Amino acid sequence: MTSKSSTDYQRGAWAFLGPGAALVVIVLYLPVIYTLVLSFTRYGGLADPVFVGGANYVEMFADPAFLGSLVNTAIWVVGTLIIPVGIGLLIAYLSFGLRWAGILRIPFLIPYALSGVAVGVLFGFVLQNGGALSQALAFFGLPGSDTRWLQESPLNTVVMILAASWQGIGVNALLFTVGLQSIPKEPLEAARIDGASGFTLFRTMVWPLLRPSTTIVVGLSIVNSLKTFDIVQAMTQGGPNRVSETLGVTMYKDTFVNSDYGLGSAVAIFLSVITVAASVIYLRRQLSIGNGSDAGRITAEVSS
Amino acid sequence: MRFPKPLLLAAAAVAAVSMLAGCSASGGSPDKLKFVNDKSWDFKAFSKVSQDQIDMGLDASTYADQDAFVAFVKQSLRTGKAPALFTWHTGGQLEELVDQGLVAETSSIWKEEIAKGDVAESVKDLYTIDGKQYCTPISVDNWVMYYDKAAYAEYGLQVPTTWQQLMDNAEVLKSHGIAPFWSSGGNPWAFVWFQIILAGSDLQLYKDLAAGKASYTDPGVVDAMNVWLDMEKKGFFSDPGSKTAPETQMKDGKLAMIPFGTWYASTISQVLKEGDDWGAFPIPSITDQGSTPVAIETAPVCATVKSSQKADALKYSQWWMSAKAQTAWSKQQGNLPFNPKSTASTQTFRDIGKEFAEPDKYDFYLRYYEATPTPILTAALDQFTGFMTNPGDPEPYLKGIEQVAKKYWADH
Repeated sequence: MTSKSSTDYQRGAWAFLGPGAALVVIVLYLPVIYTLVLSFTRYGGLADPVFVGGANYVEMFADPAFLGSLVNTAIWVVGTLIIPVGIGLLIAYLSFGLRWAGILRIPFLIPYALSGVAVGVLFGFVLQNGGALSQALAFFGLPGSDTRWLQESPLNTVVMILAASWQGIGVNALLFTVGLQSIPKEPLEAARIDGASGFTLFRTMVWPLLRPSTTIVVGLSIVNSLKTFDIVQAMTQGGPNRVSETLGVTMYKDTFVNSDYGLGSAVAIFLSVITVAASVIYLRRQLSIGNGSDAGRITAEVSS
Repeated sequence: MRFPKPLLLAAAAVAAVSMLAGCSASGGSPDKLKFVNDKSWDFKAFSKVSQDQIDMGLDASTYADQDAFVAFVKQSLRTGKAPALFTWHTGGQLEELVDQGLVAETSSIWKEEIAKGDVAESVKDLYTIDGKQYCTPISVDNWVMYYDKAAYAEYGLQVPTTWQQLMDNAEVLKSHGIAPFWSSGGNPWAFVWFQIILAGSDLQLYKDLAAGKASYTDPGVVDAMNVWLDMEKKGFFSDPGSKTAPETQMKDGKLAMIPFGTWYASTISQVLKEGDDWGAFPIPSITDQGSTPVAIETAPVCATVKSSQKADALKYSQWWMSAKAQTAWSKQQGNLPFNPKSTASTQTFRDIGKEFAEPDKYDFYLRYYEATPTPILTAALDQFTGFMTNPGDPEPYLKGIEQVAKKYWADH
């Protein structure tokens, strides 16, 4: 191939790349820059934005609703690491190698086909005062039928995490199953011959060998829980009195309900920064411990 | 591999065109007015009426989500994609749009319609900003108490004319396991009982509060909240966290009374029969204020400045106020028409209309949702929801609202 044709080829490639690249710039990068700019302005959605410096950020950290939302988001991050990730791993490990494992895992996977909003609406009816759960508890004479699941904080956040877990366990179990399948059999057999079994086998052999899967599942879980929005919006709209908001809901509420686009943008920027920071710090740490050659692959998978 | 230049250009052109096509909105039918709204009313049926009478129809799209609707209207009004007509609220929310010059003036329409006697002068005040009028009414609604006739008959209750009688009725209903009053948290209905109790106790204070001349921590406001708290403690309210519609709760015999505007007739009549199952009465005043305060609200339809259909939109707005249109509207909606030449379609509202027309007996005031500036309103809805969910000392909730109110009135 001559250098001339190579250049022509590259020029030609730009014609095909151009529209795609333009689309990414228009719908992804420009809005991010616009949001950043808006976060330094006072803007009600109607009159032109007025530059106010860092006032929105100062206001944000002084706002009790924002601070509550920050705490709730932290509960979501921890909660979704313990429940959907933990139970997902448990299911994958316990069912691994069983004869009917595939069938056993199906019921856990089905909820994943639903959208977050559908799960929210469904559990909203189950958990509302006098809803299906309260009626069931009352019918069986069990305590708790008077509990206001969605109205007391932090109980409402906890039950929403459980609702999200109902949906999320299956896919985590699936990812862990794939991880378990990719573990070579030889070291496990060697360990068994050396007398390892049960929890010891899991702790010393399976867990370290499962690291690539764990990294992905935990990384995804952190990012997804930081940006929790749909299920909360569907179940409580962040209420009552803003006590169950997450950062995603606070961002939406400040922007579109209170028409305070500047403050909403500040929350959006803050949320983006901590999400990116958490992902980068976590992945850096994990990948520096693990196999360096996997770095590119895992980052690509997590960010996709 | 090499590509011929024309092919490359064609590929780029196709990609560019398809992107642009994706951006442009679908136009709708040309002879119909593009109309966005946040009401679950049957505009399709009404569009047929207008098509017959003035050869203009509505291409209506309804937003079920209030927040999405507000965001859409605010975003679209500044652009060429502005709808011809949209529903909105009077008060601070309309002022916001008028300040930006986004809503078409309707002063000349109002002048003509008042001269014709199609609408009362007092309604015009709700549409006046700095001496000029904007938007026109679809309906003007008075707030009444809807009640379950079956429950009232079963326990031998009379329609109350005093607050004390209303409370006595509530005691009886409560003792039979029926929630006397409907109450709901969140946006928009968390304000209802605050409005009823504060205006019923001291209408002037209510008006001062809305205008920023009084504070949410004033003793009078605290007293009103304590009346509310007392009713909460007696168990007079339905569950504010319930997602079951009030009319369904009433139909199931779990709820006896619902305070709402006369527009609610079209909703309640979907499950209960007017006259047989439900009736309505004016909500009595708590203290003796000379006349009984009645909240009013009005559903405006507004023409946008930027729309290419502006002239037709204004024509349509004016027709909507006419006796013919209002009679058709009342027939469809079962509500109380504001045009004195129109007749209400139900006996219940013909009676209520007559009652409210009695001179000096009633004092009409603007509903809290429109009377209160938006930032204070959203804070208040949150705080009232908190108060309903955990009824207790009202002061922290009032302080929460006052904090926002103080900041707002300092700038306005």
